Order: sequence, then structure tokens, then C-alpha cells
Amino acid sequence: MKRPFRILITSLGFLWALGSSLSVYATTLSEIDVSGGALIYERSCLVCHGIDGHGDGPAAFYNSAYSASRPRDFTVGNYKYRSTPSGELPTDQDIFRVITNGIPGAMPSFGGLPESARWKVVAYLKAFSQDATGKKPETVTLPEPAIPTSSASVAQGRSVYLALDCHSCHGVDGRGRVGLTRAKELIDSRNLPMPPSDLTLAGSFKIGPSARDIVRTLFTGLDGTPMPSYANQLHGQEVDAWHLANYILSLSPSN
Amino acid sequence: MGLTLRDHVKRYQPGFREIFGLGIVLLVTSFPGWTPDAEAIPPFARKYKVNCNVCHVRWPRLNAFGEQFLENGYQMPGTRDGGLVGKVRLGDVTLDDVSNYIGFLFDVEPLTHSTMRRDVPGAEDQTELANVNLLRMFTAGTLTEDVGFLMDITSLFGQSSDFELGRAFVSFNNLGGMNWGHLRVGRIDPSAYFSLATDRPQFFPVGPKIGSPFGPFGPSIQRWSTLFGSAAASKFYGIFDRNMAPIFPISPTLYNSTVEAGIDLHGRPFGDWFLYQIGILNGGEERWGDTNNSKDWYVMTRFDYAQSDYFSANLSGFAYFGNHNAKVLSGADVSRSRYGVGARIRYRWLDLYGSYTIDRITDLPNGMAATFDDTATGVTIEAHAIVTDRLLLGTGFNHMDAGGELSQRKSATFLSFQARYYLRSNIALQIRNDVNLRDAEGGTSPARNLRNQVVTNVAFAF
Ligand code: HEC
Ligand code: HEC
Repeated sequence: MKRPFRILITSLGFLWALGSSLSVYATTLSEIDVSGGALIYERSCLVCHGIDGHGDGPAAFYNSAYSASRPRDFTVGNYKYRSTPSGELPTDQDIFRVITNGIPGAMPSFGGLPESARWKVVAYLKAFSQDATGKKPETVTLPEPAIPTSSASVAQGRSVYLALDCHSCHGVDGRGRVGLTRAKELIDSRNLPMPPSDLTLAGSFKIGPSARDIVRTLFTGLDGTPMPSYANQLHGQEVDAWHLANYILSLSPSN
Repeated sequence: MGLTLRDHVKRYQPGFREIFGLGIVLLVTSFPGWTPDAEAIPPFARKYKVNCNVCHVRWPRLNAFGEQFLENGYQMPGTRDGGLVGKVRLGDVTLDDVSNYIGFLFDVEPLTHSTMRRDVPGAEDQTELANVNLLRMFTAGTLTEDVGFLMDITSLFGQSSDFELGRAFVSFNNLGGMNWGHLRVGRIDPSAYFSLATDRPQFFPVGPKIGSPFGPFGPSIQRWSTLFGSAAASKFYGIFDRNMAPIFPISPTLYNSTVEAGIDLHGRPFGDWFLYQIGILNGGEERWGDTNNSKDWYVMTRFDYAQSDYFSANLSGFAYFGNHNAKVLSGADVSRSRYGVGARIRYRWLDLYGSYTIDRITDLPNGMAATFDDTATGVTIEAHAIVTDRLLLGTGFNHMDAGGELSQRKSATFLSFQARYYLRSNIALQIRNDVNLRDAEGGTSPARNLRNQVVTNVAFAF
């Protein structure tokens, strides 16, 4: 027993010495980080999103080795899950929501961070893609009131689905199978092949599984992906978006 | 993987279980659509609704994010989230959906072919069918904020129908501040945070077939391959555990053991670049109890570089001090210690790692020095490449400079290749080939006379 004790004491001493010399480093780190967001980012997000926010962190490659989606490159400012028109930056709430809920399949929820920490990291992310004008992003207005689902609405939704050519990517059955659709040609902003979502799987709605989430996606589009905004096509017939959403949700009955 | 070589000792009898097991595998693999929600199968993937490859380079090896999750005691890095994703609250304890904390691992070798050197009596080429390796059930998760747990029980179908307890520990996380100290208590795998963790080998372990209890010396050992890699292995011939059962030279042990009872503290108090680990174990290859009345100790430090460009690298070193943790043939206690270094580089499709260990035996009884080599070393180097989203190719080199009884001692050098195809991120089909780089020689040692071995393997976790 004696020798290991000596060794333990020695190694603890070594660690302590190392620790006290390095605590200098630790203070500088938190001093630079005025808002507290940097430290949270480094602990929780860096490993995927990279130190400079380019989405090239040490773990960024694996989930999406040769196909979409890699972790977001925050410097491009090309956000998918927005409530703002195509091409705009997201609102703070949009970013907060992604951090809180995660993105099914790709990014786990960080709801385990205290709410204040999540807001701090929102501020930190925005610094990566500072909009020169600094203007506050406007959100799109969704057609109100929501139209509850019914067989008539679902039928109407199906005809809108075909009329707007959604099936060219997602397939007539909504499953987006490669071979039956243009799925093979689709790529994201990083030139990685990006299969369209399988609309028959409740779990594949990354932004959320409610009709409102889908309606919002139709008006905003998913920037950086082939999925466009339909704000123009739906102009004048905005309520069709609800029918379309009801139809899509009817494809995944377990939902 | 929570296994020692003892677990892998197989007396091959093709039985109902093997055939049943193979049936299940064929069934599962022939219905790729059987799992509704695509890839998220095993418990953590289910719990956090992400693909296996969020945490794994390719299952089962971890990527940098998976390592952070593990280090934080099964919580998202930077959080104390234990229980937040939970569904059932019992007072201040939260339980998840059962499926979120129970998982299964199943591993079958449908076909194995070993080429032996022909002039050894009784050693013939062998082809085996449906060697069901193991079925493991594990449960892991968090009980409440900053308290994680893991337990696994394993059944080795080829050998016995008993389920045996593997790791079982509770982890108290973020003591003294975020990432300062995480304490594991129970039956643990000490090398979990080392550059080359024994757990989750990318080369699936292949068990030896041993025909008599004293296999490593007798003529009946028929398979030898790099079970867990030579750096992790015991490397000594002629040493025994408390019950005088042989400790096989290829069995992972000491710091690199797959399970030992003890306490382990690790953390990153100065940021992501430095990790310390320190622990105390019962040692002595004892699954239960501490009949040798002495403890083993270890210290490990690891340096990390991981920031951007899909690149990460780490370098680690440890020292393990054993105390009466083995016996020699006379029944006398000896002490085994180990010093090791390891490194790992991951860059995009490349995962490259290796480890070198030196083992020393002290307290040898008087007069044994002339017949017993008290030093042994081992090297393991592996490289794996993600060739497509589903295909992983790998190669490995293992060299063991064995120690122990000079009359029995045989060093071994093997080169391995493997191709692994992932039907899904949690179902892998694999073919692995191990080639003996040493010259064949007379005698019965598989370290020399097993010339080549091809193993096919199907593994899935869910
Ligand atoms: C395991 C890797 C991983 C970690 C850790 C991670 N993310 Fe992500 N993140 C991703 C991936 C992958 C995407 C892109 C998913 C997609 O495009 O569908 C993403 C996308 C995002 C987006 C973009 C949403 C949009 O509208 O386009 C935000 C914001 C984000 N992450 C924030 C964070 C923050 C903040 C953290 C740390 C608290 C974090 N992420 C940690 C992998 C990760
Ligand atoms: C040019 C091809 C293309 C067309 C046309 C298209 N989509 Fe998509 N859609 C995609 C791709 C690609 C994705 C996957 C984006 C991702 O994974 O991030 C997607 C995703 C979606 C999603 C899932 C959003 C989420 O939360 O994850 C919905 C819903 C959807 N599309 C509905 C529609 C509807 C309705 C139409 C017709 C109005 C349509 N899409 C037309 C390519 C297309």
C-alpha cells in the first residue's frame, strides 16, 4: 500500500502545480468572453460547429460524411429554420428554438442548458454573421386563422401538392425515393447530395411536426437547401398552405 | 466490450441457440424496412432523436462529440441535463421511457475460416458456421441532474446460457464545477477516456477457441487473433488469477481491462485541451471482492487538439501500479504494472490511432528470474477510412513482445484487414482477415501456427 500512496500524492501534487499555473489561462478565457456565450459555445457547440462557426468542427464530418446535412456554417448566415422570408437572417427566437429542440437526426437538443445560457449562445452565434445593416429581421405573416384538418381540406391539399409540383422532389407518395423523383440531383449549399424529406415519417420534420411548422416552412423555404419558398406561388391563395400542411400530415398518420 | 478472454473461451457445439441466433440475424437483415424511424435505434440515439453517427465515427467507435458525451457522464456536453429528456418523475428522480435507456447488442460470426500450419498434429484448417458470439443487454442514462449510470449484462451463446454482469457503475458528474471532476463508482472500464479505449473496438473482437482449461499451453488452442489489440493485452505466459485460472496473454487487463471494480475520477478543469484521470481498483482480475487485500492505482493525462477543419488529435499517457494482482505457477503473488502511451488523429474520413504499452512484473519469487521474463511490450496501430456513407475499410497491426515463462513464451505479430458495411448505422456486416507475419515453426503455439484467419461477422445494436 505504501508505494501507491506515494505515487498518488506525487501525482496529485503534479496536477495541482499544473492546475495553478494553468488557472491563468482559464481566467483569460472567461475575461475575453464578455457575454458568457463563448465559453458555452466552446463547451457545447464547437465540436460540431467549429471554432470559427464554419460548421467544420472535429465531429462535423461523420453524420453527413458524403451527404447533407453538415452542421450549419454560421458565417454564411444561411439559416434553414427561420420565421423570416427566404434570404433573411433568423430571429433570435428562431435560433433559440433550434438550440432548445435540437434537429431530429442531426443535432441533439441542448434544452439541458439553462435558459439564460441558451440566450447567451444565441448572441454569440449572431456575431458570426453580423448583418451589416444591423436591422431586425421581419417575420413572415402566416394566413390566419388556421384551417383544421378534414377530409375536404386533405383532398384540397393533395391537389395543391400536385399543382405546385412538390411531387417532382418528394414523389407522388411523399416518400421522396431516389429514382422516382429528382432526388438524385438535389444538393445543398455545400454541394452535398441532399435527399428530400420523407413526408410519410413523422420523425423527419426537422423544424417541428405541427401544421403551423409546415405552413411556416412553405412561406420561408429552407435556405441552403433545394426546398424553395412558396410565398410567391401561394400569393393570393395563402390559405392553401394550410390545406397542403393538412395533406402532408395525413401522410404520416402515426403523428 | 466488457469481455475478458475467459468469456471468449468456446467449446464449439453447434446448437439450437446458434441456429436460432443466425435465424434472427437473417430475419433482421433481410427486412431493412422493419424499423420505422430509420436510423435512430439504440437508446441514446432514441433518447436524443439523432443518428448513431452523431456520436460515432462509425458505430461502435466514438467521434469527438461522442467522447464529450461520455466524459460528461451521459449528458450533452456543457450541460447537467440528466433527466430533462425524461418522461417519468419519481420525486426528484426522473426516468426516461424504457426504450430510451435499454439497449441490446448482438454479435454473430456466421462463418469463420482458420488456416493452421499443416504439420502440427491435430491442427487442421477449420471452417465454422454460425458462431454466435454474444448477446448483451445494457441500460444507461441519467437518474437526475449530474448523475449517470450504466450497466450491462452479457450472454455468450457459444459457451453458456448464463447472463453475466459486466460494467455497472454510477457516475457523479461535474463535481466542483462544469467539467472539473466526474466520479465513476462501481465496475468500470478504466481506459474509457484513453486515446485507444478498450471498449468499442472497431475491429470486432474474435475469440480464441480453446479446448482445455490450460489452453494457452496445450495443443488445443485453435484460434488466436488480436482480440482487443496487443497493447491492451496481458502479454505474459504462465500467470494466474486468484483461483489459479490462467490469465491469457491476449486478454485485456490492468488499465486496459474491460471491467474492474473501483473508483475513477476524470475531468477537464482547464478547458478542452487537457484531461486528467486518476483511479483506484481492486485489481487482481477479480470480478467480485478483493481477496488479495490490496489495491491497484493509475493516473492518466491526455492532451487534445480539436477546433476546426474536421480535425482532431490527442495524445495520452498513463501509469498503472499493480499490487499483488497475479500469481505464478507456484501460487506466489506477483505485482504487474503497466506504462503506456496512446495517440489518435481523426481527419474527415480518416481515423488513425495507436498505443504502446510496457508491462513489468515485480515481486517475483526468488529463483524465478532465470526462467521468467518480467517485461513485455505491446503495440497496436489501426487506421480506418470512411469510404462511403456506409462502407468502412480498416487495417490494423498488432505486435506483442511477450513475457512470462520462457519455456512457453511466444511473441506474436499479426496484420489485420477489414471491410465493414453498414446496412444502417446500427447494423454492420463485416469481413475481417488476420495474417500472421511471423514465420511458422514447429510446436503447437497458435501465435505461430495460425497462419491466416477470415471471420465474417454481423453485429447490431438496438
Ligand atoms: C452533434 C453535432 C452538433 C452540436 C454539438 C451542435 N450542433 Fe447545431 N447543428 C448541427 C447540425 C448537423 C446542423 C444542421 C442540421 C440540418 O441542416 O438539418 C446544426 C444546425 C444548427 C443551427 C442552424 C439552424 C438553422 O436554422 O439553420 C443552429 C442555430 C445551431 N445548430 C446551433 C447550435 C448551438 C447553439 C449548439 C451548442 C449549444 C449546437 N448547435 C451544437 C450539429 C450540431
Ligand atoms: C426542389 C426540390 C423540392 C421541391 C420542389 C419541394 N421540396 Fe420540400 N424539401 C426538399 C428537400 C431537399 C427537403 C429536405 C431539407 C432538409 O433535409 O433540411 C425538403 C423538406 C421538406 C419538408 C420538411 C421540413 C422539415 O421540417 O424538415 C416539408 C414539409 C416539405 N419539404 C414540403 C414541401 C412541399 C409542400 C412542397 C411543394 C409546395 C415541396 N416541399 C417542394 C426539396 C423540395
